[in-house]
Amino acid sequence: MSAYGTPGAGPVIHDPMTLPADDNVNPYTFCVDLKGSQWFLQKGKMIAYYGAIEFNGIGHGRLDHLVRTAFHSPLHASDWVVAEGSGRMLLADRAFDVNSFDLDDGNLTIRSGNLLAFQPTLALKQSIVPGFLTLIGTGKFVAASNGPVVFMEPPIRVDPQALVGWADCPSPCHHYDHGYLTGVLGGLRAMTGLGPVSGEEHQFEFVGAGTVLLQSSEALMAEQASGVLPNEPGVPGAGRVSRTGGQQAGTQGLPGQPGGLPRRFGL
Amino acid sequence: MAFREVNSRMVEATVVPGQRLFSQRGAMLAYRGDVSFTPNIQGGQGGLMSMIGRRVSGEATPLMTVEGSGTVFFGHGGHHVHVISLTGDTLYVEADRLLAFEGTLEQGTMFMGSQGGVMGMVRGQVTGQGLFTTTLRGHGSVVVMAHGGVFELPVTPQRPVHVDPQAYVAHHGDVRNKLSTALGWREMVGRGSGEGFQLELSGNGTVYVQASEEKL
Repeated sequence: MSAYGTPGAGPVIHDPMTLPADDNVNPYTFCVDLKGSQWFLQKGKMIAYYGAIEFNGIGHGRLDHLVRTAFHSPLHASDWVVAEGSGRMLLADRAFDVNSFDLDDGNLTIRSGNLLAFQPTLALKQSIVPGFLTLIGTGKFVAASNGPVVFMEPPIRVDPQALVGWADCPSPCHHYDHGYLTGVLGGLRAMTGLGPVSGEEHQFEFVGAGTVLLQSSEALMAEQASGVLPNEPGVPGAGRVSRTGGQQAGTQGLPGQPGGLPRRFGL
Repeated sequence: MAFREVNSRMVEATVVPGQRLFSQRGAMLAYRGDVSFTPNIQGGQGGLMSMIGRRVSGEATPLMTVEGSGTVFFGHGGHHVHVISLTGDTLYVEADRLLAFEGTLEQGTMFMGSQGGVMGMVRGQVTGQGLFTTTLRGHGSVVVMAHGGVFELPVTPQRPVHVDPQAYVAHHGDVRNKLSTALGWREMVGRGSGEGFQLELSGNGTVYVQASEEKL
């Protein structure tokens, strides 16, 4: 169905009967059909609803059981609400492309800012990779991306900003390209940290079986803090807030880039 | 053709040994195979003089050379992409709209004043192109970026095309363009239509227009 309807016929007018159930209304809006069921959604992503739907912040006593079974990131519970009741609810996020995905006894890890909503049959957990969330189980979830999502098979190397997530656990790791450090100019660059870089020295590498999800542009969605990690031995990145936005990484300098002079001298 | 549109905002490029691609720095989204990305100080092809020419004219965008064997996916800033293939003719495009192009194309810089004299320079200022623009000539394909989708308008000798300067993306072929003004007393008293300046393209070729008046 075209989002614009047939030419000359004017806009498509929806009512509760004609709204799609658990499907996209147009590329930017998703409609959730609630029949006495519950959905988790990120705060502020509901744009309209029909029917009787209640939105409760997580942490109410009544929702304790639900949170215990489906929500394992207590530290960012304040970013999420539970929609409960019957009716149809429309979700959207700043005109980004919205897509729903079905997991069938699977797992998928997604950038925390891209996840909009999920069914409580899925369990949400914080990924070991900072800034990412993992969904485990069977059910449907809704994610936003800048431009349509493209699915890729590993082995593949992905620009950090273009990565939306990955499913079925191909091993994610960092890849550094130091080819630009060869030759005379490369040597100078390595010595001084000055000179052009291609901006593609650092990628995420995926190998193994699974699927990698890419967004087709490098504009990031707003990062959602996925909470402070427990400060225990053996937890990567523990003790600091796991915000790994591109901007923030940029200020520290990407690990693949030749650092400034102070870093060279170990200051 | 080295480029294939995956969707409206992403292109897939096939890299084979011995054929170079140039792309805007930082525009790689993902790649497969053994591909290397080298920053290109010269900002494109030609010798040292071409590089100085580009620097002086402000047409030097940070480019990188893409070599090796594999597939590379390009996209940048959520802008729409459009693949243009050239068969021996010249494409006129702003350097910062170039996402990627094949190494078989010959890159050059053109002074706007050489097309239409002083009026050409005024046109450059109004369209935001500046006094210089980039040319690509030869056989190969180019990926340009635009805010909003791109559509092609054919220009034929009988039917010149008028384009809003802000929506102009690129053109190729034997096309003369000049700035046409429709300024009257309304513009003077501040009640203009906002369409006082238009680009008039005449001749034989194609002009690419974006569906937005936002510049990159």
